[in-house]
Amino acid sequence: MKLKSGFVLREVAGSCVVVPTGAELDFNGMISLNETGKTIWNCLENDTDVDAVIAVILSEYDTDEATARTAVEGFIEKLRKHGFLEE
Amino acid sequence: MKQYYRVADLIVEMDTFGRTLKQAEPYLIPEEKESDIRIFSVWDDLREIQPQLSDDDCEYLTTGASFYYQLANFDGLLLHSSAVIMDGKAYLFSAPCGTGKSTHTSLWIKAFGEDRVQLLNDDKPALRCIDGKWYAYGTPWSGKYDKNVNARAPLAGICVLRRGEVNKIEPYGGFSAVHALLEQTTRLKTPDYMEKMLELLDKLITAVPVWRMECNMELDAARLSHRVMSGESEK
Repeated sequence: MKLKSGFVLREVAGSCVVVPTGAELDFNGMISLNETGKTIWNCLENDTDVDAVIAVILSEYDTDEATARTAVEGFIEKLRKHGFLEE
Repeated sequence: MKQYYRVADLIVEMDTFGRTLKQAEPYLIPEEKESDIRIFSVWDDLREIQPQLSDDDCEYLTTGASFYYQLANFDGLLLHSSAVIMDGKAYLFSAPCGTGKSTHTSLWIKAFGEDRVQLLNDDKPALRCIDGKWYAYGTPWSGKYDKNVNARAPLAGICVLRRGEVNKIEPYGGFSAVHALLEQTTRLKTPDYMEKMLELLDKLITAVPVWRMECNMELDAARLSHRVMSGESEK
């Protein structure tokens, strides 16, 4: 799975902001990412799976696997609901 | 007939009619060899999508959209807001339609007088970053009542308004400030354009103080926003 194309990610005045563009993304709002969110987002820019993303989180943050799994799965589920992912 | 205008310190080439032609008159300049922005009239395209609009309104909307879109090439953007100049500095009040932007700036004029406060643009001022400094400009596109002056002033502050019973103003930052401002500017579905918009917003919010205010329609609302935004309360 990976993110659809057309997202613009940028640091704006200290916040990490994502704006969807292009005809494919039917979403008018914008997204704010925290540190962890940004890490997961970056992973999903290339084709990957849940376990690979969890592995990245575990290598970058001081956390246990259960916590990482809850965070990653929750985040991915949100993206999926909005139709941001290509499966 | 193709004519030349100077808007936001840029040379604009435009062949227009009706209300747009009339509102642009104060910005007319003699013919130039080259232009920064060329506006092509596409009012008939909009008319097809929005048949309830008049030819005149379609022309006004499409020429304005074309101008503000191209402004990004010159480190500029539109901020949907009511803008005033006071003591040589520009103050912008932004909010979704119907919140009372124009009401608030008319309170400034009432509170401080017409010789001190000028309505720069009541709806769509242009902002530009020139040599690291931000300026606000009047433009021919300024809403229903053509309230604008052909002038510029250094931008001293931006305030996002919300209606409230009691007047309250505080610094505004973080994601919600970025969101509030992005909602009030030009948004297009192309990645390159949005990339540029976010870059400009980053520059703008970093350089210019942004405030959030809850306000009523009393003169005290204007006195409070002026005192805080002009820095007078610190003296």
